[in-house]
Amino acid sequence: MRLIPREVETLWTLFTAPVVWALHFLACYVTVAIYCAKSGEVGGYDTIRWILAVITLLALAMIVVSAALAFRQWGFGTDDPPHDDPTRHDRTLFQGFATLLLSGLSFIAVVFAAAPLIFIAGCFS
Amino acid sequence: MTTGPLNDFSESERKAQEERLRAVWANPPGWRYWTSVNNSQIGLWYAAAAFGFMLFAGVLALLVRVQLAVPENDFLSAELFNQAFTLHGTVMMFLFAVPIFEAVAIFLLPPMLGARELPFPRLSAFGFWSFLLGGVFVCGSIFFNAAPNAGWFMYPPLATDKQYSGIGADIWLLGLSFIEVASIAAAVELIVGIMKCRAPGMRINMMPLFAWYLLIVAGMILFAFPPLIAGDILFEMERMFDWPFFDAGRGGDPLLWQHLFWIFGHPEVYIIFLPAIALMAMIVPTFSQRPIVGYSWIVLAAVGTGFLSFGLWVHHMFTTGLPQISLAFFSAASEAVAIPTGVQIFVFIATMLAGRVIFSVPMLFGTGGLAIFIIGGLTGVMVALVPIDWQAHDTYFVVAHLHYVIIGGMLFPIVAGIYYYFPLVNARQLSERLGRIAFWLMFAGFNIGFFPMHFSGLRGMPRRVFTYPADAGWDWLNLTSTIGAFIFASGVLVIVFDVLRPKHRQPRTKVNPWNAGTLEWLAQPEENWGVRSIPVITSRYPLWDQPHLAREIAEGRYYLPDAKEGYRETIVTSVLDAKPIQCLRVGGTSYLTILTAVFLGGVFVALTFHWWLLCALFGIATFVTIIAWLWNGTAEIPQQPQKDVGLELSLPLYASGPASVGWWAMFITMVGDGTAFGSLVFGYFFYWTIHEDFTAGIAGPGLFWPMAGLALFVASWLGMLAARSVNAGGRTVFACMLIVASMILTACGSVAALLGPWQFEMDPQSHVYPAIVWILAIWLAVHGAVGIVMQAYCLARFLAGRMTATYDTELHNVVLYWHFLAVTALTTLVVIGVFPELR
Amino acid sequence: MKDDRATRPATYARFAPPGLICLLASGCRGAQSALDPAGEEAEAIHSLLVVTAVGGGIIWLLVVGLILYARRRDRPVLDVERAQKLISWGGVAFPTVILLALLSYALWKMPVARPWFDPGDAPMTVEVTGEQFWWRVRYLDQEGEPVFETANEILMPIGERVRFLLKAHDVIHSFWIPALGGKMDMIPGRTNVFSLKATRTGIYRGPCAEFCGSSHALMNLTARVLEPQAFREWFESRSAPAGRPAETEGQAAFLSHGCGACHSVRGTQARGQVGPDLTAFAKRERLGAGVAANTQENRVRFIRNPDGLKPGVRMPAFSMVPDSELEAIATYLGGLE
Repeated sequence: MRLIPREVETLWTLFTAPVVWALHFLACYVTVAIYCAKSGEVGGYDTIRWILAVITLLALAMIVVSAALAFRQWGFGTDDPPHDDPTRHDRTLFQGFATLLLSGLSFIAVVFAAAPLIFIAGCFS
Repeated sequence: MTTGPLNDFSESERKAQEERLRAVWANPPGWRYWTSVNNSQIGLWYAAAAFGFMLFAGVLALLVRVQLAVPENDFLSAELFNQAFTLHGTVMMFLFAVPIFEAVAIFLLPPMLGARELPFPRLSAFGFWSFLLGGVFVCGSIFFNAAPNAGWFMYPPLATDKQYSGIGADIWLLGLSFIEVASIAAAVELIVGIMKCRAPGMRINMMPLFAWYLLIVAGMILFAFPPLIAGDILFEMERMFDWPFFDAGRGGDPLLWQHLFWIFGHPEVYIIFLPAIALMAMIVPTFSQRPIVGYSWIVLAAVGTGFLSFGLWVHHMFTTGLPQISLAFFSAASEAVAIPTGVQIFVFIATMLAGRVIFSVPMLFGTGGLAIFIIGGLTGVMVALVPIDWQAHDTYFVVAHLHYVIIGGMLFPIVAGIYYYFPLVNARQLSERLGRIAFWLMFAGFNIGFFPMHFSGLRGMPRRVFTYPADAGWDWLNLTSTIGAFIFASGVLVIVFDVLRPKHRQPRTKVNPWNAGTLEWLAQPEENWGVRSIPVITSRYPLWDQPHLAREIAEGRYYLPDAKEGYRETIVTSVLDAKPIQCLRVGGTSYLTILTAVFLGGVFVALTFHWWLLCALFGIATFVTIIAWLWNGTAEIPQQPQKDVGLELSLPLYASGPASVGWWAMFITMVGDGTAFGSLVFGYFFYWTIHEDFTAGIAGPGLFWPMAGLALFVASWLGMLAARSVNAGGRTVFACMLIVASMILTACGSVAALLGPWQFEMDPQSHVYPAIVWILAIWLAVHGAVGIVMQAYCLARFLAGRMTATYDTELHNVVLYWHFLAVTALTTLVVIGVFPELR
Repeated sequence: MKDDRATRPATYARFAPPGLICLLASGCRGAQSALDPAGEEAEAIHSLLVVTAVGGGIIWLLVVGLILYARRRDRPVLDVERAQKLISWGGVAFPTVILLALLSYALWKMPVARPWFDPGDAPMTVEVTGEQFWWRVRYLDQEGEPVFETANEILMPIGERVRFLLKAHDVIHSFWIPALGGKMDMIPGRTNVFSLKATRTGIYRGPCAEFCGSSHALMNLTARVLEPQAFREWFESRSAPAGRPAETEGQAAFLSHGCGACHSVRGTQARGQVGPDLTAFAKRERLGAGVAANTQENRVRFIRNPDGLKPGVRMPAFSMVPDSELEAIATYLGGLE
């Protein structure tokens, strides 16, 4: 059995990358919220930053994987949109392309969400 | 998709078919017209009611503007002003912006998807009546000087202060909870309708973009509205029974409400914006005379916006003193959401540039709306930057921003939609001349009215002030705003006149007057059946690319050209490739939907006034009508298992499990229910984070009873799983016994869940910790009780012979409910039982 | 406001062009204007505002220009490939780059617009409590103990960072002096901390920025930014032990009608803590948290029927007090230096 099946016949794959964004966003927000509410010293803050940096890299990696799978589903870009033929093939290409676009957006959104960790150096309000 | 040869009927056969179809889909005569559940009727009523509420709220806005026209004015008293702006915001959001999209969707989706009906027409009707009753209740309150007056956001402790808010806050909470129920009903209807009821061949890459948007929006409703319902529950418990969820003196926190409200409130903005943009996605290709450029990009934008909109809520709380790092995350997401929005705008521009644009009234309103909306979007990018928000928050700058977003991004496209789709309502077009006059009045009036507010805000004018001093320097800015508001209102009046003026002397327009490409343009206003026969679709713009389609559909050459058995039928297709899988019989005309809505409304009204006995009576009546509705109207066992739907295709008439629409509806409902539950759990942990010791030294529910409850719930879940498979094996009696066992286990489990806090005598009025433990335990117990009712219903269906080993869709749905119940039980009991022990 | 233009910092001149737009449109000046900054925080935010407003204006012109171009009949029709490119460049690449740059700039500005500092670095702390519908102001010493209390007026020295502890007594309020910096909410059960540093002397006004009930509109405070020397003198005079005000007819009436149950006047038996402290009331420009000018006539009106001037106010009406005594009380308050 393959680890990642060659064909996934479901709509859910479309949402993989945005879900990764959502989990990453929640991880950042919840970690910081709990840390700042429960301890709040500036000392340990750098640890939090590192943890979230690692989580960010993991999230980006997962999105890249999703994008790669989408790229494969899109036939490695051999066929341009609009993908509007009444065939199963074009439907798959459409799914691949849309998933690829969403992976791109999610990638950007994760980078955006990580930016505050660079600029803000503590729990102060 | 390969299909059989098209049907071929003689002229007389066709006439007979049409007679039968007409009879099956006819609206009842006389006063019983109002018991109709047909999507075109419900859609129109819904839209008319929503517009009525809009005009009402618009008048309130004008009153507000008159009061603010000059400094130190006394046109309105402070109290009336506060009611007026609260009601203006509430009505515009809950009674216009959200329902109007439900209205348009219910009206347009079936013909657009090539379906006869949405899968649950009675649910749509129920939703409409709930909305109408709730709306009248909420709006009427101002005539008794009892309207909500604490702002549409209802921040405690001001809104929990009974001396200040009177019963206004209860009217808000209960009236709107009722309307939220209607919205969630619409979400269920739309998701199932879009996923399962498309015409054969309409694969997901063929779906009209309107449907894509609506699918995403309905999904967003499922995750956005339940947190508000959870908040409403906590809020009402505080107001009615003094449980201190938001009372800082007893461990509560007003900020929890703000979190729950805005987790709803921000996605809400996109919930009202996306459907309006969806109309644009239909209008722009028609008037550019070409298919949309960037279909996939629109899907990206809709899905992306849908997700990102859930990461923005704290940008309404930038000034609450949360750590800057937390604010920064939300600022980042708020900036990121501008990207998919930009994509949508550029898709429209690209489509226009790649075509030849006909600049008719719908395009005028559409592009004019875009020009306004872009200003709102850009000021949105500004206020999403935390430091700017520290100045702009709660000032007229934000008032300007939000009106630019909502009026440009929602009202203008909606008006464009009215001008575009009016021929589908009564086969006449609205006046081009009046439309242009209305546009310029609205466009100019809007900008004159709202642009100066950017300046009054930055010059220090806070929102929601009933008066301001003469020397503040805002006087002529405000006077200009007031003048602009009246010009804008005159434009709206022109539209109202254009819609209402008699048009019977005007010639009928031809079918598809704009030469659009999508299926809804084949619908005939005087026929209730939606499409004459359900076509096979091979294009995104079938009317452009499938040359004989219109004639073939009208001649009944496709699926379901007849209604021989006298049922309202439509075709269920598969999610991805839209292969026909079932012939679905949907509910017809019924007075039960109105009765249920009236009784449920009675429950909410009685609660508002604390008439407990009446409330119980209404509750029982609601219960009875719902059971009657389900018993006779759903999951009927068909006389024969299959039906010939035409084109040499025979489809099953019954489905259970994931193949059935009912299972999907249950799944979707339970996702919403789970979100509400999750919000309550969020509340529990929120209290944990803000306090050193969130139990405040109060002994908790212990470990024993929660764990006992957990064991009982798990056992009852296993019992239901067993019952389903035993029944599928044909041993119905054994299945019934298992259901009975599971009922008892569930009852015991619910009692055990309540016994924990009971045994420790946790007093929910003393502190927030016992209160939140109680609320979680009660939530679980109530769900247990609802489950028991479902089990009893299943037993009764078996006994009455309405459910068998093969026809077991109710059992499947109840087992699905049990999956969710098991997760709820596990979460609740571990959280209240184990978590306090771990600390 | 009698704005002292002479002390305007030169930095403001940098923003002359948008300032001009602003003057054309409405004029930016005002005692309560975020567009007329008089503090470090407000200046930082103002520069961000200007950058985004100008940038936004340019983007709007570009996009609307494109839409107007698209409706022309004589333009060439764009081929689909180029239209796709327009989406990916105009709709994705351009916004992504611009927004990321803007976000970074704003995140970098955040700690400037609301600096974080050790409590030890700020010599002065003022505790402000929002009440329906007025501001309780307490100046605290290094240990956090109140030195003296006043109401609806904050005096602060120019060029020194002042730390504010923000609390709420009843409902949520929001503390905002637009000319000095952004706002911060006052939430029951929480204490929010932030600081302001004024760069220009003058009188600035601050409204309550979170809806707080009937008279939300009538809850304003005055901030006076003084030269350090003048501020010290005022601070000393308020923290020194109080002298006894002359015992007048008005004071007797004030006490006999029970005003002292809610209000304090230092040096007298009036020590109530419920309502605003009235010590040195004559120095206040306005009465009732900004409801009206502090004149004899208005004082009488306010005491006779506070609800008439300020709907929903907590103070009861004193219409039963004879006119002569009302006048005497008002005179007394008008004489409290």
